Amino acid sequence: MALALRRGAHSRLSLPRGQVMTMPTSTEQCGCPDYGISRRAFLGRLGAVGALAGLTSTGLSTQMAFAAEPYPGDVLVVLSLRGGFDGLNTIVPTGDPRYAEVRPSIGIPQNTLLPLDAMFGLHPAMQPLMPWWEAGTFGAVQAVGMTNQTRSHFEAMEEMERAAPGSSLRSGWLDRTLGLRETGSAFQAVQMGSSLPASAFRGPSPELAMWSINDFELSGAWDLTERQRWTNALIGLHDGAPATVGAPASTTLSALAGAAQMQDAGYVPGAQYPDSDLGRALRDVARVIKADVGLQVAAVDYGDWDMHVDMGTVDAGWLSDKLGELATSMAAFATDLGGRFADVTIVTLTEFGRSLVENGSGGVDHGHGQAVLLLGGGVQGGQVHGPWPTLEDDALSGGDLAGSTDYRQILAEILEKRCQGSQMSTVFPDLTADRLGVVRARG
Amino acid sequence: MTTLTRRRLFGIAAAGAGGLAVTSATGSPAAAAAAGSGADFVPANLNLHLLRRATFGPTPTVLSAITTQGRRAWLERQLAPETIDDSTCDQLVKGRFPRVNWTIPQARDGLEPFSWDLMYDLTAATIARATWSKRQLFEVMVDFWSNHLNVTNPSDRVWDNRQDYDRQVIRTHALGRFEDMLIASATHPAMLLYLNNADSTKDNPNENYGRELLELHTVSVDGGYNEEDMRNSTLVMTGFGVNWNQGTFHYSGREHYRGPVTIMGFTDPNPDADGYGVGIRYLRYLANHRSTAQHIAYKLCQRFVSDAPDPVLVDQLASTYLSGGTAIAPMLRQLFLSVEFSASVGQKVRRPFEDLLATLRILSYGADRKGRHGMQSLVWIADSIGQQPLAWSPPDGYPDVAADWQSAGGTLGRWNTHLSLAAHWWPKELTQPEVRTLLPSRLPKTHGAMVDALAERLVFRTLAPIHKQAVLSFLGRASSDPLSSDSEAVRWRLPYVVALILDSPYHAVR
Repeated sequence: MALALRRGAHSRLSLPRGQVMTMPTSTEQCGCPDYGISRRAFLGRLGAVGALAGLTSTGLSTQMAFAAEPYPGDVLVVLSLRGGFDGLNTIVPTGDPRYAEVRPSIGIPQNTLLPLDAMFGLHPAMQPLMPWWEAGTFGAVQAVGMTNQTRSHFEAMEEMERAAPGSSLRSGWLDRTLGLRETGSAFQAVQMGSSLPASAFRGPSPELAMWSINDFELSGAWDLTERQRWTNALIGLHDGAPATVGAPASTTLSALAGAAQMQDAGYVPGAQYPDSDLGRALRDVARVIKADVGLQVAAVDYGDWDMHVDMGTVDAGWLSDKLGELATSMAAFATDLGGRFADVTIVTLTEFGRSLVENGSGGVDHGHGQAVLLLGGGVQGGQVHGPWPTLEDDALSGGDLAGSTDYRQILAEILEKRCQGSQMSTVFPDLTADRLGVVRARG
Repeated sequence: MTTLTRRRLFGIAAAGAGGLAVTSATGSPAAAAAAGSGADFVPANLNLHLLRRATFGPTPTVLSAITTQGRRAWLERQLAPETIDDSTCDQLVKGRFPRVNWTIPQARDGLEPFSWDLMYDLTAATIARATWSKRQLFEVMVDFWSNHLNVTNPSDRVWDNRQDYDRQVIRTHALGRFEDMLIASATHPAMLLYLNNADSTKDNPNENYGRELLELHTVSVDGGYNEEDMRNSTLVMTGFGVNWNQGTFHYSGREHYRGPVTIMGFTDPNPDADGYGVGIRYLRYLANHRSTAQHIAYKLCQRFVSDAPDPVLVDQLASTYLSGGTAIAPMLRQLFLSVEFSASVGQKVRRPFEDLLATLRILSYGADRKGRHGMQSLVWIADSIGQQPLAWSPPDGYPDVAADWQSAGGTLGRWNTHLSLAAHWWPKELTQPEVRTLLPSRLPKTHGAMVDALAERLVFRTLAPIHKQAVLSFLGRASSDPLSSDSEAVRWRLPYVVALILDSPYHAVR
């Protein structure tokens, strides 16, 4: 197996924009050199100089650029919880007698949990999502794993996003998904909140990576007149360009025009998002969805889950804060979408779950089985899916929660039932036909 | 994968043409024309053609040198980099990034364990050398081999050794013999850790290195091996690992698989625990295999000639590689002097990193006067436009065909970087001559002549009439409008015009 597809770019892990290099390594160290100037400073300077006002409606015809056939599926939002998300303290197997034994100090006490079913309870910080649980549009899958087990962040992320164990494919699963579709608008596939696309997008299909809608602008084009001036000049200069130069230029101008249209229109979200990177990124995804510019796939990173030390208690601390922000942001997103919620599916992924047994530092190390969260109009929510392998010794995998469901089965089902997906053997080679029933077929 | 790439490329191109069919200010459909050829945008002059491919970007100085020396003599000097005095750049790197010369023990003494500092020093030093070294072809080949034998920098297992790998494996052999480079990589902890050979033992073989050695480093995926060969490739290399206490290369006979091995045409009874010699013989066999020759020749042609290289040239270079005992320089000589190379003007496109370097070079940027913040900022710029050098995370190196570099985010990043550099907004610490010096000291008399002069300085030719008109419209001027030192175009608007020209295919085409 070509296992060690490594991720060198730290940026995937250091989600918080502007934070320099918060990079958990597989050796539990965080190398966080304050190296020179941060990316935020760089972009900030560019942005400050080019502080732009509105966008031209007389410029590029976005209609023209977005002329592709309307896509009749859900917008898929992939939320990557990078660093290793602790599903065991989120979708808590409180009905499994071993849980309390192995996590005596960091385990979530049963009486604080939001009851889900006979086995599981939800961490109370996830309370903001309970209305969707009750409405049957928020659910989870427990004990999710992948074929190529590795406990290195880099290898696990690469392998998860390549999603083709046992094959020599080097592209990512979102790229292969897009490769089967008609080429759409510049906003067909967007990585929001980062300048670099996730490795799930790696491959020939284009995607648009942006920090935010408001940051996506051409320096120098500071008002409508200047924007028009630049647009016309860039169009003129690319007259007769080879396709390899002209096509990306054209996509870029389309994307700029679309972003500018959204900037001009402004955005008053239909919900209060947390003032955080995740909140801003999801708000912008909702904004793009509602702007009807052809979005089909959005990817958002939400990192800093590598909780080897001091993950905190049920009421306070690292995990509680992270889950609170996650739930609040997802709830705001669902509310903000309004009627569009029916046509959106959000799925969370993480490279691995945490170790079953707490360590001596009030944290958990790298484990295996993870929990996947699902939110969306078509989600079969209000339940925890997936066979529970139990926490008995002989049911564990390398001492940790086993993966009884291949994460690709969840993704494949979403693609098939909600996103007009076909040819799963191209997207996920050698995936079996098992499906859990995590989403309803689109009406 | 290939068909997918094609389909997507043409799909994008079609969408692109649609997207550009936009009504311009003059009311005529602008840029709706069919896609053209890169050769229409770059000067046909073969000196410049060679400089675009064999350096990280032509400059007036280098153009003058190649014109004086002649193309062939210039090439010979570049192929013998030790004959070129590069002390200024050497001193710069030595003075500002002294740690990149550290050995592995020095790094382990001098760094916090698992620190990323030295790996980032290496990235910044790599950019500095690529920008300012006079041994340009050497630096281009360092980049080529760093991708061919990729060890992602930064990544967690090479914090103490990646700089040593850069020096001992890549730089030592970049214009030497591939066989030597391959053996150096196979006996270096950076590669052995990155591809898990250090974790591979006779009892628990890890196939990562054994497979990539065949698929990526030597014979390539179509090179004629099967899964059994691949398993044997893994077994024969067991024992090539690291001394875990010191982080240095260590051969462990205890971990080495013993017994007959067969990989393609290579066989060895491999009877002894001391299998180091068997491994080295295997590496030599692979390095000298015809499939490896074809693979390396193809990649060099893709790097320097076109995205879809002519098989005739590939065959010729492969033969040269084999007859020269895997020597690299003779292949390059043959490539750059070939008719196929001369006929390939305009067929390559700059990737983001090459665009950044060419921009710095054409704008005559210099390093920080003191310190290194400016050079470190270049790491972030390269990252933000999607190609931080050495940082590609899978083992196959950054893709080298234009179809893989179609991202709108990357394009916008490049455009904004052009303006940021032209206007010297960022990074401030790097030195740059006044932007006004890009124009002749005797100011051209008209705006049209000014656009001509600026284009000559930046892209070594005047723009085609329709493109020149686009720049004049940007300035809101007619070609014959008189130019004076008070004109907007030579005052505050000048950096914007410079950036605009750098945003065009005239600069994007390699």
